[in-house]
Amino acid sequence: MNSNGSWLAGVNPSCKLLAHLCVMFMLMAVSDPVITLCLWLLAVVTGIVLGGWRLGYLLKRLLPYTLFFVLIFWMLAAFGKGEHVIWQWAWFRITEESLNNGLTIGLRMLGFVTYGLLFTSTTDLTALMMSLIHQLRLSPKWAYGMLAGFRFIPLFQSELQQMKAAHKIRGYKQKNSWKAFARYALPLFTQGIRKSERIAVAMEARGFTGTRNRTYYLTPVMAGKDWLYATGLLIVAGGMIWMLGFV
Amino acid sequence: MQWHLGCRNLSVGFDHQEETVQVLDQITVSIRRGEKVLILGPSGSGKSTLLSVLSGIIPDHVEAEVTGEIDRQEACGVMFQDTDSQFCMLHVDEEIAFSLENRQVPRAEMDSIIQQMMSMVGLHIAPHTPIDTLSGGMKQRLALACLLALEPDVLFFDEPTAQLDPVSRRDVFRLLQDIAATSNQTMVFVEHVLDGCIEWMDRVILLDHRGRVIADGEPAHIVTAYRQQMEEAGIWLPRLFPYSWSDIVADPSHPLAAELHREYRERMERDRSVMQSSVRVQTDRLTIGYRKRPVMQDMNLSLYAGEWVAIAGQNGSGKSTLLKSLLRLEPALSGRILLQDKELRKWTDRDLYAEAGFVFQNPELQFVTDTVYDEIAFGGRQRGWSESEVEAKTVQLLREFGLEQHREQHPFTLSLGQKRRLSVATMLLFDQKLLLLDEPTFGQDARTSAELLRRLQQRQQQGTTIIMVTHDMELVDQYADRIILLQRGEVAYNGPPYQLFSNESMLQDSSIIAPLPYQLIHQRKERNVI
Repeated sequence: MNSNGSWLAGVNPSCKLLAHLCVMFMLMAVSDPVITLCLWLLAVVTGIVLGGWRLGYLLKRLLPYTLFFVLIFWMLAAFGKGEHVIWQWAWFRITEESLNNGLTIGLRMLGFVTYGLLFTSTTDLTALMMSLIHQLRLSPKWAYGMLAGFRFIPLFQSELQQMKAAHKIRGYKQKNSWKAFARYALPLFTQGIRKSERIAVAMEARGFTGTRNRTYYLTPVMAGKDWLYATGLLIVAGGMIWMLGFV
Repeated sequence: MQWHLGCRNLSVGFDHQEETVQVLDQITVSIRRGEKVLILGPSGSGKSTLLSVLSGIIPDHVEAEVTGEIDRQEACGVMFQDTDSQFCMLHVDEEIAFSLENRQVPRAEMDSIIQQMMSMVGLHIAPHTPIDTLSGGMKQRLALACLLALEPDVLFFDEPTAQLDPVSRRDVFRLLQDIAATSNQTMVFVEHVLDGCIEWMDRVILLDHRGRVIADGEPAHIVTAYRQQMEEAGIWLPRLFPYSWSDIVADPSHPLAAELHREYRERMERDRSVMQSSVRVQTDRLTIGYRKRPVMQDMNLSLYAGEWVAIAGQNGSGKSTLLKSLLRLEPALSGRILLQDKELRKWTDRDLYAEAGFVFQNPELQFVTDTVYDEIAFGGRQRGWSESEVEAKTVQLLREFGLEQHREQHPFTLSLGQKRRLSVATMLLFDQKLLLLDEPTFGQDARTSAELLRRLQQRQQQGTTIIMVTHDMELVDQYADRIILLQRGEVAYNGPPYQLFSNESMLQDSSIIAPLPYQLIHQRKERNVI
């Protein structure tokens, strides 16, 4: 998670997070495919206009989910229940209701992914954690702890890769994937625990207490543009539901 | 009486499976303000524990049974050896700021302090650089900046250069020496490489393997009077100290100068004629790299039976990738690799790994079973050997690598040196004819690495080809028949080590530090010219 320098990247992370969660909640509550489509398009347009997304980036990120979308859509549409049959062949039976359901669920999934991406692609992790401390009153102990934990992820990946190579040389073959998982997990966990203990000691040795008795290098605040973005997004999304709901 | 820093009758024990393991035994030490002190001792002697007690990590943050009196300073900072697990933020400026935040320094003062700290430790980079893009040496500089930002009265260093290559180590030592000279802070070191730091210490405290103080005094005195004890304990001895380099260069009759000369002649005369033997591995226009980006291109190398080859180069030069691609652990981007005249692609996994072994830098990641015995026997059982056959071979390897007493232990509970030996032993069950090692002596004490190298040498004499990636040029000079230097995407040098070490322009270009005998010869030459 890194900031990408767009207008949206300058919006307060907590505010952005809550706004997106609200829209996601709306997505869950709506069961009309047209409104769901509009809410999804709202995310795409916001991403392009405010979030600095290029079309290429958007396609690369959303393409895997589009395949998923087609799959969900087909599954629900072709095997769903309903009265008004549109098309029927062999055991496939597409009805108006199942078509609606398939589109809604598929688009809802896409909408969730896109709002999530809109958040992660424009938010700096450190800024998010600091904003959680300041705006949402998260304890520094948790926030700094999570930041330290994030540094492990790439380390974990390279260790796993090395371990797989080492096991290959030894001729280690495990058909049972659970046993293979346990085999890899144990050393990774012991390494992980050892490393996190070391980090914890290092942080405490530098005077970290986990309390709020500290100053802050980064202090995200709520400014006009944050309110503007959150209310703007919610009004547009709510407006869409209201208008289309009455058509 | 209150001391600046110290302890009286300090004993420390750790609870381990219902019994207390005694680490420090009745230690009394007093350190004066501004003193620079080095704590020495064999591995397991409790040096790090003593440092943790003096810095307050024990018992504040790590539990232990502590008896005795301790005098501490509240404002202190500790630098650790693991370059990765002492940071908790993602960027350089945030990391230094973390120290300041903890001290409740007002935000308005932070930027200037961060700038000041960065220039003080020689970090001339943008403040908002991501930490994971820094090299090991840079990370330790950052760690130091974070410590200094705490404005401590006492600085503790727990093997700060253990994970650095020799060039970065030298730089970090120089930096520490500068800071020691200009500040009046007390500094306490635990370090296993003494060259470059013992010269500017005020005092050395020597511990024995049972955690007792056996000597405490002037560095020069300790190093000469307790030389034998140190050697027996497996402590790396300084090459020069208590002599100084300028004395040795100036005085040809100096005993150490004479010894270095003898070493130099020995290297020149050594027979390096293994080249005539049969070719074991050959690469043909080999290109390797990370993902799709080539790092080394069009390499044509031949490695012979019974040869010991070192691969050197700066971080990111492709040494490890080359090593891995020789055994298909990393795909080659183009070109061919021939192992015993058969293309590497055509080998089955089973045959290939019966012919070649690979020892990783972190041995823990390659252990697959729960006891030392099973670990070695694993490959044989996997191939359906009879149990008596497995037994015979395994016991022989256990003996060869000095692991007999530990045969029922879990591999993870071994010491670092034993783990390393076990990882090598597991790779020799099929009498592999090719052994690849990534930094085989990294982070080990003098005795365990000497032991390992002696065993590798025996294997070499039986015809095993040994290829190792290393930064340690002393090791290369002493053992390798050939060194392959990778630099800027090409093989910059491929030949006997002594020629490379005698070539001054090449050394400077590749930032390799030549072993002392070569440095001496070179400096003598320079003096004669002047």
